[in-house]
Amino acid sequence: MPETTPLPGQERFLAPLDETPLQETGALDTSSPPESQWKEAWKELRRNWLFWVSGAMILLVAVVVIAPGLFTNLDPSYADLSKSLDPGSSGHIAGYDKQGYDVFARMIYGARASVLVGVLTTILIVVVGLITGAVAGFYGGWVDSVISRIADIFFAIPLLLGALVGLSVINNLFPDRGEFGGIVAVVIALGVFGWPQITRITRGQVLQVKNMEFIDAARAIGATKRSNLLRHVIPNSLPPVIVTATVSLGILIVAEATLSFLGIGLPPGVVSWGNDINAAQNQIRSGQRIGVMFWPAGALAFTALGFILLGDAVSDALNPKRRTE
Amino acid sequence: MWWYIGRRALQAIPVVLGATLLIYAMVFLQPGDPIKALFGEKPVNETIRASIAAQYNLDDPFLIQWLKYLGNALTGDFGLTYAQQPVSQVIGDAFPVTLKLAVMALIIESVLGVAAGFYAGLRKGKLFDSTMLIVSLLVIAVPIFVFGFLMQLIFGVKLGWAPITVGGDASIKNLMLPAIVLGLVSFAYILRLTRTSVVENLTADHVRTARAKGLSDRSVNSRHVLRNSMIPVVTYLGADLGTLMAGAIVTEGIFNVPGIGNLAFRAINRGEGSTVVSIVTLMVLIYVVMSLVVDLLYAWLDPRIRYA
Amino acid sequence: MIAAASLTLAACGGGSDSEGGGSGGTSDAVITSFSTQPQNPLIPTNTNEVGGGNIVDLIFAGLISYKTDGSSENEVADSITSDDNKLWTVKIKSGWKFSDGTDVTANSFVDAWNYGADAANEQLSAYFFYPIAGTDDEGTIPDGGKTISGLKVVDDSTFTIELKQSESDFPSRLGYSAFFPLPASAFDDMDAFGKKPIGNGPYDFASMTDNVEAVLTPSKTYEGVRPAKNGGVTLKFYENPDTAFSDVQAGNLDVLDQVPPSALTTYKDDSSIQAFSEPGSPNSTITIPESLPGFEKGEEGNLRRQAISKAINREEITDKIFDGSRIPSTDFSSPLMPGFTEDIEGQDVLDFDAAGAKDLWAQADAIKPFEGKFVVAYNADGPGNKEWVEALTNQLKNNLGINAEPKAFPTFAELRTEVTDRTIGTAFRTGWQPDYPSIYNYIAPIFGTGAGSNDGDYSNKDLDALLQQASGAQDDTERYKLYADAQAILFKDLPAIPLWNTSISAAAADGVKNVKFNWQNKPELQDITK
Repeated sequence: MPETTPLPGQERFLAPLDETPLQETGALDTSSPPESQWKEAWKELRRNWLFWVSGAMILLVAVVVIAPGLFTNLDPSYADLSKSLDPGSSGHIAGYDKQGYDVFARMIYGARASVLVGVLTTILIVVVGLITGAVAGFYGGWVDSVISRIADIFFAIPLLLGALVGLSVINNLFPDRGEFGGIVAVVIALGVFGWPQITRITRGQVLQVKNMEFIDAARAIGATKRSNLLRHVIPNSLPPVIVTATVSLGILIVAEATLSFLGIGLPPGVVSWGNDINAAQNQIRSGQRIGVMFWPAGALAFTALGFILLGDAVSDALNPKRRTE
Repeated sequence: MWWYIGRRALQAIPVVLGATLLIYAMVFLQPGDPIKALFGEKPVNETIRASIAAQYNLDDPFLIQWLKYLGNALTGDFGLTYAQQPVSQVIGDAFPVTLKLAVMALIIESVLGVAAGFYAGLRKGKLFDSTMLIVSLLVIAVPIFVFGFLMQLIFGVKLGWAPITVGGDASIKNLMLPAIVLGLVSFAYILRLTRTSVVENLTADHVRTARAKGLSDRSVNSRHVLRNSMIPVVTYLGADLGTLMAGAIVTEGIFNVPGIGNLAFRAINRGEGSTVVSIVTLMVLIYVVMSLVVDLLYAWLDPRIRYA
Repeated sequence: MIAAASLTLAACGGGSDSEGGGSGGTSDAVITSFSTQPQNPLIPTNTNEVGGGNIVDLIFAGLISYKTDGSSENEVADSITSDDNKLWTVKIKSGWKFSDGTDVTANSFVDAWNYGADAANEQLSAYFFYPIAGTDDEGTIPDGGKTISGLKVVDDSTFTIELKQSESDFPSRLGYSAFFPLPASAFDDMDAFGKKPIGNGPYDFASMTDNVEAVLTPSKTYEGVRPAKNGGVTLKFYENPDTAFSDVQAGNLDVLDQVPPSALTTYKDDSSIQAFSEPGSPNSTITIPESLPGFEKGEEGNLRRQAISKAINREEITDKIFDGSRIPSTDFSSPLMPGFTEDIEGQDVLDFDAAGAKDLWAQADAIKPFEGKFVVAYNADGPGNKEWVEALTNQLKNNLGINAEPKAFPTFAELRTEVTDRTIGTAFRTGWQPDYPSIYNYIAPIFGTGAGSNDGDYSNKDLDALLQQASGAQDDTERYKLYADAQAILFKDLPAIPLWNTSISAAAADGVKNVKFNWQNKPELQDITK
């Protein structure tokens, strides 16, 4: 860690002893060994009602994804064009869309592709972004420069171009890729251009956290650089990353709809919320059966809400300052 | 600090080289022959196709294409569009419009997002916080093109409060509606980020200390809580200017804004390599500059962050 | 969502206070019309897409011009005559001038066509010169030649065109933009000309702002059959017809020739605009290549083609998906074409008959069982393609009990590359917009053996012979009869399956007068006033 002269204003935060209560940093290191950081977060989490509500919501979505047949016995890919935009009858509570598909069945079966796109892409960008961001922020120097500049490059590529090429490359590799291949293609297209956001947020957070008093204290009692990074810096940098990731999840599911709008989303045979929201958008102007859009958009909002609430609960639990209360 | 800025400026060179190479590879990998498409559904004249392809270096291996592009770019020649216009001129016309649009969106989203997020964080769990959660959910769950069409229909056609399309007159008044639509998604991010940071910082040691010293709530909130909550928000905003410009494709299409997004969309669809590469290179430069600005802001927001 | 629902309940109140042009009713008002950014330099032989075509058609005048109904009349030409339908003599009217003041002469045409057919000039519409002697099958001059040997200038006002074979309706092609004349100054610097063209048409090219608009002002020298009745035309460039429709509603745009899908159900009842709905000329088809397994030449393939055609409920798709903006096809051309008839043998294969279709498919299966699925490819960047292809494959699934599905190609370029390289391996969507108003143009370039746009590699000697005969036919009745016979062969073989014709679905702002649409589904902009 190359030391330089402190920037102006730095003394203000470091100097007065009464503003940096050493007894507290000390307490953190003695009474709670590093491993218990996660355990303690879990304890905190269990006490939070938000966690249980959001958990239940996500569980429900997960059940729909795994076993859609439990919720409807209709075939989501059977369309009767003569029933186009029919408001529906008994057994068809949400009516039919423009193509004559059953809207409710499409909502249930659309969960799989949409949630997979959202979750897989989020996992991809968080894993890549967290690692690169933490390394860049913690080690600094040329490592930081290289990672940050690569992130800049990927940041700058328009999603559309990335998606076009990503989808085309997958097309060439797996001409008959089927439903899952189509999802993977969209995940790659969205993920390749999404990770730099997480990288930058993590890096910014790590830069801040690594200079905090308790990290200095941990180093003072002999913690190695790597254990410092893994046990203290990363966990304490997580809250904004988690918030960004959980917000991203919903946005990524919607991004799939935008890709469809631009004509390059999931293949037409795949049932997904994005495809259906896009298909219904023409009805905004004419006002015919706007409800057709309500179902997939509502399901999307429900899923997004579940993950955002979970993100809030987890970031609360991980907040080191909170736990000292 | 000047030394630091100079070093970062030097780093921009490999970034630009890397970005142009990556884009060239991508345009090259894009399937379909753009020249064949120029003929529409009419028969393709092979002699003419080959001759046009040669003019745009399209039959060269992509490394050669890239080197030729770089060589010409160094002399200020960024190539021609398929309509035979200099790419530099086409981008020069479109860029100021998109920059204006993106800056407006950035101002709108950051002012509203930080204000709402700050207040929601202070009043965590109260009515305002919950309302903002629902607002951000709506923004997230409804695709941008749906919002665009809706707002155009409501404020433009039905109420007549705002111009429907921008066209040739990219004034602040005309760009207001598209800027709001463009900034919506980022508004949700900033709101959530600010709220989380504020909640976190409210219990931070120095804030409690400041409060214990007898400072008023107001001064604690603005001087300590808000300032210290800005790191992730500033990070986000720094990158967002570029994202807004690159992401303006949908918004510019809906409001007929003659900007970079429209240009990029058409160029990508038509496989117009030199236009795509030049636009992306410009975006890369914006990111490089903005990430430098963000890093300098870090040091100002939190003096404990040091740069070597 | 809630906002959207309440919106539709609100009465359509907009549009009453149009702020468009202050001088309503007078003939010097400037008319604004929907267009798209031109994709090529504005040279007639290089303009093969709508954006550039809209400009070029207004600033140039050809030997003939097409009337609103698709029939043609002489414009710059005084006469176009031939004894054998092979050697044509063109006489030009005197007094025609380009907007730079120079005369329009025989050389203005011959030089322009030579330029267009010279491969070195890379003109995208060179193909149109292929009937003329001295060009190859692709319309370019062979071996790097600079002049078409079939063109001879006799004097300033006369030139001759020698064709490769006799074609009685050759003159009807000469109104297409590839055959427009160019002033001598164009050849000095064609790059500059392509940015600021000088024409002999009803309008002069004043200026163009990229991605924004092209401004055309009435010509002072034009004395042809399409005089400008307004104070000029401004073509506004849009990326999205949805946006343009909103502008028409608010009175910011005078004419929109393609109402977006989102407005099709409601635009006819919209009191803030004038709505137009008329039959149109472009058609949509599905081409099934003969190389596709199960669809090869022979009885099995033929049965399957018939089955597919009969399993499609065209009426239902045009009604539910297109809201009536398409009309089910009854032949391979369009009802707007001269000589159109509903009386063609084998036409009933276009009638929906689910049971009959299933039966035909079963007969084919008896010959050889069908394996795999029936895939229809489309380009996703074309608005509305996904919707109808999906509806169509759903009908095939339900009515034939087979596995049918759409396949999306992200861009037109990608689809066309696979089609022209013959690597596509599925059925695919095709469409045709006629270059000149003739049934011949819907058949010969697409289904003639080895023809340029014969994407399905169809070949039938009888059809070729009939087309040849029709080209040489002396009078219209005989020619139309031969077209009908040719189409009867197509109905038997079904190299492509006709679906529907695109109607004119257009909107004009309140107070705009004299809006008419021609056989190309385009507004006659020179006649519009407000």
